[in-house]
Amino acid sequence: MNPLYHVGRYSQLMYRCFSKPQRVGVFFSQTLKEIDRLGVSSLFITLIVSLFMGAVLTIQTQNNIENPLLPDYTVGLVTRDTLLLEFCSMVLCLFLAGNIGSNIASQIGTMRISEQIDAMDIMGVNSANYIILPKIVAVVLYIPVLVVFSMFAGMLGGYLIAAFTDIITTSKFIYGLQYWFIEWYVYYSLIKAAVFAFIIASVSAYWGYFVRGGTLEVGKASTRAVVTCSVLILLADVVLTQILLL
Amino acid sequence: MIEVRDVCKSFVANELVLKHISTTFHSGKINQIIGRSGSGKTVLLKCIVGLHTLDSGDILYDGRSFTSMSKKEKMQLCSEIGMLFQGSALFDSLTITENVLFPMQMFSEKSEKEQQDRARFCLERVGLYNVFDMYPAELSGGMQKRAAIARAISLNPKYLFCDEPNSGLDPLTASKIDELIVELTKEFQMTTIINTHDLNSVLSVGEHIVFIHKGEKAWEGPKEKLFVSNCPELDDFIFASEMYQKFRTTLVSEQSGQI
Repeated sequence: MNPLYHVGRYSQLMYRCFSKPQRVGVFFSQTLKEIDRLGVSSLFITLIVSLFMGAVLTIQTQNNIENPLLPDYTVGLVTRDTLLLEFCSMVLCLFLAGNIGSNIASQIGTMRISEQIDAMDIMGVNSANYIILPKIVAVVLYIPVLVVFSMFAGMLGGYLIAAFTDIITTSKFIYGLQYWFIEWYVYYSLIKAAVFAFIIASVSAYWGYFVRGGTLEVGKASTRAVVTCSVLILLADVVLTQILLL
Repeated sequence: MIEVRDVCKSFVANELVLKHISTTFHSGKINQIIGRSGSGKTVLLKCIVGLHTLDSGDILYDGRSFTSMSKKEKMQLCSEIGMLFQGSALFDSLTITENVLFPMQMFSEKSEKEQQDRARFCLERVGLYNVFDMYPAELSGGMQKRAAIARAISLNPKYLFCDEPNSGLDPLTASKIDELIVELTKEFQMTTIINTHDLNSVLSVGEHIVFIHKGEKAWEGPKEKLFVSNCPELDDFIFASEMYQKFRTTLVSEQSGQI
């Protein structure tokens, strides 16, 4: 497997994908369908994951801050910043790479092996543009929205731990959540989410679009999509953190 | 009319899948490409419709060279082509009506009402009623083939390509699909090319037959000369089954009796 070969083929696919849609009305209706299919369906699981993520983060922070010099509200502050800086964007997107990424790869892969993509090509439809672009736009628009929900759900998870256990009082937790809030962290998280979303949609679509063979290959493409997306998300996280925060 | 001129195609260097194939497919006729599995029939069909690029040679659509066409001309040609795939290739996420509407929504300037009427006409023309809002997975194989034919003819194509239209169908349904293709070919005066290895289909609807063997055109001619081709590879292909072997014995004895 030559990485340069894949980079070249991926670039060509993106070039075909980012052309003007043949019918703008059809493109918008496809995008709305994809937002519903890929995004809205991920909302519930995002909320559940984020709720537990915030709860665990609160417990872990409290357990690891034994220093009497650190004020109690530090738990709320650390929970908030960890959620904003990494968990709600990077960890959530790693999770969504498995959920949405595999979905996109297997859907497009199935279309390829059942000759639906060939049928579009013969009709003169730019199949890359018709199939992939609405998915990319939908995912790039919707994952940041999921991240915002994830932020609230994560903090709610921490609050519930404070409310139902005695590790920290709710007033101190809320004070910590509000203490020294840096607005840029929210934007930073949303920018990262949009970049990760692009990686999830485009890379998964790439693996699905070039499937050759049968259903076994669709499964392999789905796995490759998740693995590649995860690695690229982590790589992009390093680069974006360097660019946006330092 | 479609002319195939000296077409070569390979997927791996120095291993030609199609070797210098030349032939002509006439309009208003049922042209059939026959051959054993893996002989290169589907590759030839996909080369003709432009899904595979040619190593060398050319395809002429009514005198228009496919290889030297501009992007705009190719788009125009695409709207003149209808294709029926082996597995129907209907879009899973669309209803049957939406499938038939799809090419019109992408290319036709007709109003929505006219498009809906046309879709309904095409579906009824292929004998599909009361399935308009169903999804492909809810239909039988034969009905899916009919729906795919309806989609293929929705833009009134000049050229119809069918890749193994009978595969996976029972003999009765298969013959009905064949009859439907013949009717539509005559009705719309299309150039129809059917890719098949179903001898029943060849004998019932075929008019001009091209036999492909190991990537080469081994024989070409009218259906009537299929049994007297003097092509050993074609004879092996045709008389592989016991039924046709018996038929050959009868044929030979009849001919000797006549002599």
